[in-house]
Amino acid sequence: MGQVCNLPETHILLGKLQTCPTTKMNDNDANTLISRRSLLQRSAVGFGSLAFASMLADESLAQASIDNPLAPKLPHFAARAKRVIFLMMSGGPSQVDTFDPKPLLTRDDGKPLPFAKPRVQFNSTSNLLKSPWKFRQYGESGLWVSDLFPRLAERVDDLCMVHSVHGTNPAHGGAMMKLHTGSDNFIRPSIGSWVSYGLGTENSNLPAFVTICPTLAFGGINNWSSSFLPAAHNGTALGDASVPSDQARVKFIENSKLPREIQRLLLERLDAMNRKHLAQAGSDASLEARINSFELAFRMQSSIPKLEDLSGESATTRKLYGMDDPVTANFGRMCLLARRFTEAGVRFIQVTHNDDKVQWDQHSNLKRDHEKNAREVDLPIAGLLTDLKQRGLLDDTLVWWGSEFGRTPTAETTDGRDHNPEGFTMWLAGGGTKGGFRYGSTDDYGYYAAENKVHIHDLHATLLHALGLDHERLTYRYAGRDFRLTDVEGNVVHELFV
Amino acid sequence: MVIILMCAVLAAEEPVRVQPPTPEQLRFFETTVRPLLAERCLKCHGDKKQWGGLRLDSREALLQGGESGAAIVPGEPDKSLLIRAVRQVDDDLKMPKDNKLAERQIAALVRWIEIGAPFPEVTTPRTRDPNHWAFQPPVEQPVPTVDDPQWPQSALDSFILAKLEAAGLSPATRADKRTLIRRATLDLIGLPPTPDEIDTFLADTSPDAFARIVDRLLASPRYGERWGRHWLDVARYADSNGFDENIAHGNAWRYRDYVAAAFNRDKPFDQFVIEQLAGDLLPSQSEAQQHEQLIATGFLSIGPKVLAETDQAKMRMDIIDEQLATTGRAFLGLTLGCARCHDHKFDPIATADYYALAGIFKSTLTMRKYIKVAEWHEHLLPSAAATAMRAEFDATVAAKKAAIAELESPGAGSNSALLRDSEATKAALKKMRDELAALEKAGPDLPAAMGVTEDKVTDIAIHLRGDPLKLGDVVPRRTPPVLRGPRVPQFTDRESGRRQLAEWLVDPQHPLTARVFVNRVWRWHFGKGLVRTTDNFGLLGETPSHPELLDWLARRFVADGWSVKSLHRLIVMSSTYQQASTPSAETGSRDPENRLFSRAEVRRLEAEAVRDSLLATSGQLDETMGGSLLKLKNRAYFFDHTSKDLTTYDSRRRSLYLPIVRNNVFDLFQLLDFPDPAVSTGDRAATVVASQALLMLNSDIVMQAATKFAERLLADSTDDDRRLSQLYVIAFGREPTADERQTDRAFLAAADQAQSTGTDADSRRRQAWATLCHAALAANEFIYVR
Repeated sequence: MGQVCNLPETHILLGKLQTCPTTKMNDNDANTLISRRSLLQRSAVGFGSLAFASMLADESLAQASIDNPLAPKLPHFAARAKRVIFLMMSGGPSQVDTFDPKPLLTRDDGKPLPFAKPRVQFNSTSNLLKSPWKFRQYGESGLWVSDLFPRLAERVDDLCMVHSVHGTNPAHGGAMMKLHTGSDNFIRPSIGSWVSYGLGTENSNLPAFVTICPTLAFGGINNWSSSFLPAAHNGTALGDASVPSDQARVKFIENSKLPREIQRLLLERLDAMNRKHLAQAGSDASLEARINSFELAFRMQSSIPKLEDLSGESATTRKLYGMDDPVTANFGRMCLLARRFTEAGVRFIQVTHNDDKVQWDQHSNLKRDHEKNAREVDLPIAGLLTDLKQRGLLDDTLVWWGSEFGRTPTAETTDGRDHNPEGFTMWLAGGGTKGGFRYGSTDDYGYYAAENKVHIHDLHATLLHALGLDHERLTYRYAGRDFRLTDVEGNVVHELFV
Repeated sequence: MVIILMCAVLAAEEPVRVQPPTPEQLRFFETTVRPLLAERCLKCHGDKKQWGGLRLDSREALLQGGESGAAIVPGEPDKSLLIRAVRQVDDDLKMPKDNKLAERQIAALVRWIEIGAPFPEVTTPRTRDPNHWAFQPPVEQPVPTVDDPQWPQSALDSFILAKLEAAGLSPATRADKRTLIRRATLDLIGLPPTPDEIDTFLADTSPDAFARIVDRLLASPRYGERWGRHWLDVARYADSNGFDENIAHGNAWRYRDYVAAAFNRDKPFDQFVIEQLAGDLLPSQSEAQQHEQLIATGFLSIGPKVLAETDQAKMRMDIIDEQLATTGRAFLGLTLGCARCHDHKFDPIATADYYALAGIFKSTLTMRKYIKVAEWHEHLLPSAAATAMRAEFDATVAAKKAAIAELESPGAGSNSALLRDSEATKAALKKMRDELAALEKAGPDLPAAMGVTEDKVTDIAIHLRGDPLKLGDVVPRRTPPVLRGPRVPQFTDRESGRRQLAEWLVDPQHPLTARVFVNRVWRWHFGKGLVRTTDNFGLLGETPSHPELLDWLARRFVADGWSVKSLHRLIVMSSTYQQASTPSAETGSRDPENRLFSRAEVRRLEAEAVRDSLLATSGQLDETMGGSLLKLKNRAYFFDHTSKDLTTYDSRRRSLYLPIVRNNVFDLFQLLDFPDPAVSTGDRAATVVASQALLMLNSDIVMQAATKFAERLLADSTDDDRRLSQLYVIAFGREPTADERQTDRAFLAAADQAQSTGTDADSRRRQAWATLCHAALAANEFIYVR
């Protein structure tokens, strides 16, 4: 925690507004040196006090955690990972066509499923449908990957495959909310918000939870909202799934209409008005916090666009993420942004792969569309893993690849598969997980999770565990009771970690 | 808000802990201090061992201390033995024995003692206590005598003053007239007072000047638009389903307008409750009344539903659960939903009580079909106008069809086939068919309202652990027996029982309905309730700060015929309400959280009031009332897969009328703490985050308001001095000081110079004024009420 505190002085000048001499500030506070302690007492909620939190030396950490909800907090125990990148494949990639090969499915193609289908299904499906792709073994670990992911296959020794994930809801909406919030029938905080609440942010100019091009369908903002947790833990969205990633922006981050000089004058006059008002209204923490929030907003206006400006990235790096190819450029840019947010200290970064349909939702045209989808993400994801590794970031960054559910091994229409929450594959990489490792399995046909089943709640508990958070202790009291991400469920899968 | 209050505690010189620790303090204790104590101290000073006679596992034990004396002195870390021990300053007192604590850990303990060593009550909370105060009917309370008989305007003030006097404190002075009219106007109608209204009030020196203001505000149609919105928070109102299938509630707006009108007409609250739960079962005198009562049942229908839930039995029980949870929270302040899977852990609500109530809603028809995508029921609202509209439409369609038929088979005749097959006719036919299709697609929806009706009457079985497949005993419909006072209703097999449930709720002896509602109104006026957990009066809710006042208000409210406007008058005309926001120094430190209502709270405007004030100040507000601004047809998708939200918010109407889209609430609302419209909420947050500042600096709505405000000033006044006066009076309700005038003049000059010389003088001047207006509209003085 100490390494984020890079200001050695015990006194700082409050803000930068007073650097402009154009008008006389009629409040004498503005040029006053303020002690850290009094600054802390003046600052309060939200980003407004983040800047100050980062100036804290260790001894003041305790104070920060009660004054500022986003101040960095200690985990419950030693963390393996400091942050998470969630690569969300919207719509449900098929496990039996990607990472979970099933020889019997190939053999029994066209025959009926030899056991019962689930009581509740989304659509009806007919007989078994073999995968149109070949599987091969890769790396030293010899894990199987289908021909859909040739580039990712080269990184297979970094992957920790979980083949036995299962959920409860066969519809996109319910399953998306379950995946993001742990609940499919109540509005609850998103996992990223829980992480923000549990750990705060290491970067005073950025939120702890960022989501890039999320989909507004199937739960929409509830999939990145803080719900009843303090608003500072809301996910900050860059654009949404309807805009290409090079146009994804944080809302209201820019003012293209006012010249910069006018903006600065505006802030200066506003600050003076607010300080005069404060002097008359008497000490009030929220009035003071709001004064600080404008200053931070002004700084965010340059800090966030700077992060989004990729011009400093080398041609090699851009190529690594596939930004030189129109097929991979959009998702590649998101992955590169994710790495940059990782470096900047953001705790939870979600990247969503979602086009103007539900990207991976192949009720039909499995071959054509899964191929198109995989081509868009295969190289960028492999590039991200390579880049994180070569920068030493993979050790404490947990990369999580997954979706709201998998697909049925049985056919819907003739060349499609239905939703299947009963058993599917996700993988993790880095953050202390075992590379080249597989855990759990589905049945012979890949329909149901069979061995070492990992429910979404278990997965959540495991992700929090990697971050040093005990899912049973990460609670928030609301409407009279303590809430957790995992409700009353969740078992940590310790086997996944080195 | 909690955090803000927390800071108030920190700022106080000597915080006197008259109140239990705040949730934020406890969270600090639980996340930082308790783990430290548990890990490093309790092995030797806990329940198993007490070395040196010392335990560190409760506040009492810490205060009592061990052989060397008290371990802590709250507020005085330097005088606390615990701190000396962990700092290891004395040779004979170095703790822990193994390794010294990290500086950071010591700092945490110091901090904890500084803020008074908050520690949760160790006495196990009473659970499932049937004698809990909120389950007994309110009793008549004697009005307390007070030392200062001049201060109270009514019994309300006597209850407040008695507590203050008992604590040795005095209330704040009365707010000045400008503050008062701004506060009352924003509070009652959600808009700032106009310069004329301020002048009139200032000029009126009669003793009932303020009463006249209050009467005017309560009579304004703007009042229902403001207070109806408060109720809509509780009713989790939205114009879309949200959840998985986010489709348009095309007719929800009728319920919204019903609520606003109910407040404007001062509909007695008991009637308001009955109509929302059972309006379809009530007799009516007129078609209008019948429609109104049907619309009211929208309350039960507008909740979020998982419409693509493939398990239909589960979907049905989920919808019932949502209705039950909302009804419980809105009217009873109870978390009934807990009892769906197990007996309530804290409140004496058994699973059987839950399914006894659920039977009422199972006997109620909410959904037309449960097959995905499921469809909710709607009441048709036939009227002469609607029938005529429909008839006209049908006639147009019929005429079109006839014309097509005519072209397709143009009667007998030698060249008829030739005519039919000619290119020109084919083209004409195609055009007409397309027109017909478009016409039919755009056909008028007959007026309809979301709402419920009766279904097959049934009692249902307990669902073990909430599972619709694991059924236990059937429970007859009834109300929870733990709530004592009202007459126990009789449920029959002819009616769902919604009417009986509603009548039971508004029985004058009901322990919760009136208390919960007057507490809500108090919360909306003062920023916090007498019971701060407005939506939870159960055992985990907070106890009231003024229990006698709460009972007195509840009984008075019922005695006044459940008149909400009478309740407003009582509150707004009180000395308590009319206090200034500045406390005396002593009161500020002794009552830092203002639990005793020793002053007015400084409060940020809600999202709607911010937007409406921006529009009003800049002269843009469109006061048209009612109707729908949704651009989608009923049940159409807001955004299915594309994430393109086509909803627009560029209307100049009051915020009440803007579409509330679940899963993607309007930016400005989202950022300014508009509550999640999927859940009933009586206590909005008021956060301060930088994204709000970005909104105020960079959004079109604020930029445009600033520009229009400046145009208004430049057009209305002839010189800059008058313009400055006008700016301050409109935005802040006061004249600028001489200092401010000087600063602003300098600012205008600087802003003028800062622009490129290429622009003409007039547009530079406009920009300078717009920027000054922008600053004012973003200023705390504009956004906060004192």
